[in-house]
Amino acid sequence: MLALLAARRARCARNAATALTPYERGRNFAFGLAGFALLYGLYAGFRRVLLYLVGVELIGRLLLWKLTAMMFLMTLSMVMVSSLLTSLTTLFYSYDLKFLMNAPLSLRTVFLDKSLESAFFASWMIALVLAPYVLALARALNLGPVFLAAFVALLPPFLLLAASFGIAFTLILLYLFPSSRTRDVVWVLSSLSMTIAYGLVRFSQPERLIRPDALKVVAEYLNFLQAPTAPYLPSWWAARGLQAAADGRWGDWSADLARLWGAAILVYAGLVWLAGRTYFTGYSGAQEGGLRRRRHAFAPLRESWIFGRIGPLLWKDRVAFFRDVKHWSQMLLIVGLVFVYLFSIQRLPLDSADLRSLVSFLNVGTAGFVIAALGLRFTFPSISLEGRSWWVLKASPLTTAQIMREKFLFSAGPMLLVAFVLGCATNLILDADRFTATLSLGALLAVAAVVCAMGVGLGALFPRFHVENIHQVESSLGGFVYMAACLFYIGATIAVLAWPMQMHFQERFGKAGAWDWRLAAASAAMWLTLNAAAAVIPWTLGLRALENHEL
Amino acid sequence: MIEIEGLVKRFGAHTAVAGLDLKVAPGEIFGFLGPNGAGKTTTVKMITGLLKPTSGRVRVAGHDVAQDPIAAKRAMGLVPDEPFVYPKLTGAEYLRFVGELYGARLDDMKRRVPELLEMFELGPWGGELLESYSHGMRQKLVLAGILLHEPKVLVLDEPMVGLDPKSGRLVKDIFRTLAQRGTTIFMCTHVLEIAEKLCDRVGIMIEGRMIACGTLAELQARGRGGAGTDLESIFLSLTGGDEYATLLRYL
Repeated sequence: MLALLAARRARCARNAATALTPYERGRNFAFGLAGFALLYGLYAGFRRVLLYLVGVELIGRLLLWKLTAMMFLMTLSMVMVSSLLTSLTTLFYSYDLKFLMNAPLSLRTVFLDKSLESAFFASWMIALVLAPYVLALARALNLGPVFLAAFVALLPPFLLLAASFGIAFTLILLYLFPSSRTRDVVWVLSSLSMTIAYGLVRFSQPERLIRPDALKVVAEYLNFLQAPTAPYLPSWWAARGLQAAADGRWGDWSADLARLWGAAILVYAGLVWLAGRTYFTGYSGAQEGGLRRRRHAFAPLRESWIFGRIGPLLWKDRVAFFRDVKHWSQMLLIVGLVFVYLFSIQRLPLDSADLRSLVSFLNVGTAGFVIAALGLRFTFPSISLEGRSWWVLKASPLTTAQIMREKFLFSAGPMLLVAFVLGCATNLILDADRFTATLSLGALLAVAAVVCAMGVGLGALFPRFHVENIHQVESSLGGFVYMAACLFYIGATIAVLAWPMQMHFQERFGKAGAWDWRLAAASAAMWLTLNAAAAVIPWTLGLRALENHEL
Repeated sequence: MIEIEGLVKRFGAHTAVAGLDLKVAPGEIFGFLGPNGAGKTTTVKMITGLLKPTSGRVRVAGHDVAQDPIAAKRAMGLVPDEPFVYPKLTGAEYLRFVGELYGARLDDMKRRVPELLEMFELGPWGGELLESYSHGMRQKLVLAGILLHEPKVLVLDEPMVGLDPKSGRLVKDIFRTLAQRGTTIFMCTHVLEIAEKLCDRVGIMIEGRMIACGTLAELQARGRGGAGTDLESIFLSLTGGDEYATLLRYL
């Protein structure tokens, strides 16, 4: 029966692929190329780092494999947290569960089908980022396709084991607390755990460990490099197996491969057994909605007073946001992210005022990336999150442009606030000079506004009204295009603003007539053009696509 | 009130609606019938501006849906085939939201929203989140939503699905009253009994084409059974449903 269920997935995927119009094929191909370029960029970056590491005398290879183990550990933890959220929606709230539960299928078959789906959605994107790293590793160590094949064999059980954490956690939790409220608790817990874990890792200052001068003696440093990174976790088995493959120790590689596959089979067999006893209780409880009466006062809407026609939409989005725990709980993450970011800035070993000012300028890039990542979570999915209720707006006397403007306004306020806090606090911490502080803050606020416009525009260009959870929107082709476009735009912003910064530094270093006002004016004009283009082009494309979107 | 001229909708090689011409007068209840996949919902979507026609024109309350969609939409109320609504709003908040979108006055909403909730027996549920509503309750809420701003044209896609008999009766009475006041009602339905009792005229569509349109008497005259034949027999004779007797033998 599992084979039948797998066949229906394959058939659905094939039908979806063959049903694409020539335009959609062309668009997907173009954006696929852009995605490939981004992965290639990652590969180039990793290769540079790994080639540098491998060239370090005596401890080069140790450093390289330590980094690899840390990469696998990071992948493991990201898939684990991702699976927590994905398995909750996939196992208990999928659209097709009613059909599957009604069908003459055993509960364990349904569970296994949904678990594998959950594991796939929780891990594919993270695994995609691991691929350029391993390719770069192969390049740095001059290894061929056999090494890559060894990695491909190790990857599936590693990802399955990582994803099994979330599956097991939600399965047990929903069994113990079979209620739709448990879903809310899981969302808050997962956001909190991500925030705390992220904070703990960062505040432990791991950068000290890869700086030999931070440790007391060389022996201590060497011990750290040689010690296993979390030896009881599958990430260590995968990293060790990969190292064995690189060294040609195929016996050791086979042992780790067998350990990974064996553990994966054992864990999933255990989960399937457990599901037979617990899954239905959790599923049934999850369908029961908790009742809590609210009274509507019919007071005038503040939003309508300020924003006119789109006011009611802003009100609706605000009310829905603060009632939906999977949305507001993510704010915990943002707060954690901002604190960790500022802590990292504060810990940077910057001795001179010039260097601090330079970092304040480069902060436009790093803080811009943080804002783009927030946009991927909050702004880009905002159109798709209308979901199956999209007909209410589409049939209403609102224009598509008005709806998009509302989505922009709803996101722009918080995003500008985060940009302002990050910009001001960083400048204060770094004690940046007035010119740099003003330039970087202005640029960062522009980045926040433009990233919002890009998020809404590209969200409208790639709407997905029928997804089961927000991660499917984020990890879609559109999400990928959005992130690629943001990274390109932020990189271009830094490049364009580097001219006035360079002249400013020349002036600081005492060079007479450092300012070439024509060059400064050209830079300002290019910056304005870049911002206008980055905001207007995706917006216009998105508006046209959403107006023509057929329900 | 609804004027459709040469309406065509193609999805790739498939023609869902193949040149529909129709006029529905003010105060008329028009029943739109047809087997599954005939193009009824596609037509509804084009009337309400949810789909762009491949060619042809739709005018609602004098406004061209393609040229002046906002005015046309303001004059319309839609009940779709699936009543998806915002799960994190309460019933009262949904009605408030819809009222605000269509420009209803706050004083009117204060009075009308509790009235409409009571009328559809949703009063005790008005403060609950819509995620806890059943399909029928959501259907009633969507119906209440279109009554809030008193549109000139109602476009209804299977409005009776999921309603209990009492609510079904209430909705029929509401439609009759609204039609008497001049509201135009365009209704897709598979319940032939409702179409027979409620509609002034009925159109039957098959494979994107209107194969019959008229009053019950006119359709009876066209059917094989003659006067006194019920709509079900007429429908089956026109749509080839007589074959069902042959098909039943295979069961």
